Amino acid sequence: MGKFTYNKEVLANLRIDEKETHLLDKLLDYESAKEAHSKKSHAAVDKRISIKEAINEYVKDGDILTDTGFSYVRTPIAAYFEIIRQGIKGLQNIGSPATSQSYMIPFGTVTHTHWSYCGAEMRGTDRNMSRCAKNGKTKVLSEWSHGSMAQGFKAAQLGVPGLYSKQLLGSDIIKYNPFVRQVDNPIKAEKDPCVFIPALYPDVTIIHVHQADKFGNAKIYGPIVNDVAIAAAARKVIITAEEIVPPSAFRNDNKGVVIPFVYVDAVVEMPYGALMGSMPGLYYWPRRLWEKAMRHWTYKEGAMDEFYETFIVNCKDQYDIIDKLLGGSKWLANSRRLTKAEEYDNEDEGVDFNYKEWTRDDPNPDDTTDQFKAIY
Amino acid sequence: MTEQRPANPLEMIAYVLSQQIKDGEVVYIGTGLPMVAGILAKKTHAPNMTMVYESGAQNPMPGAMPWSVGGPATWRKSPMILEMAYSFGQLYNGYVDKAFLGYAQIDMYGNVNTHMIGGDFHNYKNRLTGSGGNNDLSSLAKTLVLVGLQSPQKFVKNVDFITSPGYLTGGNSRKEAGLVGGGPIAVITSAGTYDFEPESKRMRINSLHPGVSPELAQLASGFELLKPSGEIPVTSVPTQDIIDILRREVDPRGVFTSMPS
Repeated sequence: MGKFTYNKEVLANLRIDEKETHLLDKLLDYESAKEAHSKKSHAAVDKRISIKEAINEYVKDGDILTDTGFSYVRTPIAAYFEIIRQGIKGLQNIGSPATSQSYMIPFGTVTHTHWSYCGAEMRGTDRNMSRCAKNGKTKVLSEWSHGSMAQGFKAAQLGVPGLYSKQLLGSDIIKYNPFVRQVDNPIKAEKDPCVFIPALYPDVTIIHVHQADKFGNAKIYGPIVNDVAIAAAARKVIITAEEIVPPSAFRNDNKGVVIPFVYVDAVVEMPYGALMGSMPGLYYWPRRLWEKAMRHWTYKEGAMDEFYETFIVNCKDQYDIIDKLLGGSKWLANSRRLTKAEEYDNEDEGVDFNYKEWTRDDPNPDDTTDQFKAIY
Repeated sequence: MTEQRPANPLEMIAYVLSQQIKDGEVVYIGTGLPMVAGILAKKTHAPNMTMVYESGAQNPMPGAMPWSVGGPATWRKSPMILEMAYSFGQLYNGYVDKAFLGYAQIDMYGNVNTHMIGGDFHNYKNRLTGSGGNNDLSSLAKTLVLVGLQSPQKFVKNVDFITSPGYLTGGNSRKEAGLVGGGPIAVITSAGTYDFEPESKRMRINSLHPGVSPELAQLASGFELLKPSGEIPVTSVPTQDIIDILRREVDPRGVFTSMPS
């Protein structure tokens, strides 16, 4: 008998064979997560390495990788590209949202999906994701809502086996999630249906932050989303940071320092590590690039090969994305200006947010620079 | 732009949705038209309302139209930003008055699908985004307002997947399922506004937009729409002042309120 009992009906709904349930076990396996947490060095030592070394050392074939940030906000996308580049295969992906897994599927990087949300809101539904889940390029192992998954990560951080939720009741999601179980609230006199959400322990997470010290203490500005809980839960934690500050910086001002160094295995200095997404306070969303992704690269069967050529082969890192795809130093200046104006840390009066949307009949489809003009 | 064009269907939806907000309320905002409605309400009749987003943002200062529920405009000078789990916790704990959400399909009991269209879970026509926060808000919100375009493809007899519970199979079934949130109180569409008949919990016409007859509304629905007793009111339209605010200040680029060509 396995370590966990899964609802047979749910397994059948998801077409998960009973021999495959080992794929599910690791996400729930508190003992192995605790062991991993116990084994890592608990000393405050210099953990800085390169992104190539960090991915090579800590991301292994078949790992459960957690998406962090919020889809295209403070998400370590440049590190995900390095995972693809290194040819790592067979990852499970979980996160709420878990939008970033889409572009890792066509290349065999991600093969199993825990799904709460994939898409780019009004930029469009993700046809690549739709296609890949249908043709078996990725297998959906569980369906979630944002909140219920957030509760699973939070339970891990709280140090409890799980918690009772009032989400998912009456929905079809619960029929497609082998991890959760409808139960009765044991303390209520009247029947009170709840959903038990177990603590979730992914294998590895990469979290992109504004600042870290060399030990791994990490500071975030803007939405944390689920990242503090995920950092507490994951067996392996890589921090990529826009900048590395001396430890004295956090001793003098600990505002926004939310991840303690003991969780962290590796610290990578990685300016612009959230590209092709945005970074609060630092750089704005490359809108035409993302529109091209949703409306062209994900759109037709085979177009993702071009995505691979563009981001993985022709760009060796995030600096190449800036230089070759976004417009170089002018993009840097303008994107900082736009994000600060939108956040109202810069004067926004007169700042022009207009740009030409990338469309499927775009006259300049290769121009992904946002065609900004206001700055010069 | 000083054009005197009347509101287009999306602008009309945004306006009618904004009218659901009372000053002083906390409203949980989904992506798209709910953002437009929230900002319009704040700039017009409800300056003291608070917008809350699933990315954790709270009460941003009015600014540009957000491009995402996680974008900077949703936490522009927010005094604080909550983690996601705590943000949804506010609904359960009674601090949120209303939630606004979109749908891809909706049935007569207000059950919503944002998962997949056509066929089944493995063999669909189109896979959509999945729940995101849709299920959480529908499960927990004190009151829920659903918003979107109306067509027989969207107003369906049975949704292809219940992402988010409305009144499930009607009557008391929502309560019996253990759901603590009150369920949908209104559906705002391109044709009219709907409420739910208190006993059966079936969708009922509340008002129809100018020029929309009950027959036309019914043609745009895959299930029978209940009618109220007596005359069906005509939805009030935005004044030119409000249309101007919507076009000039709220969504000047028409991100969410320009009609798809």
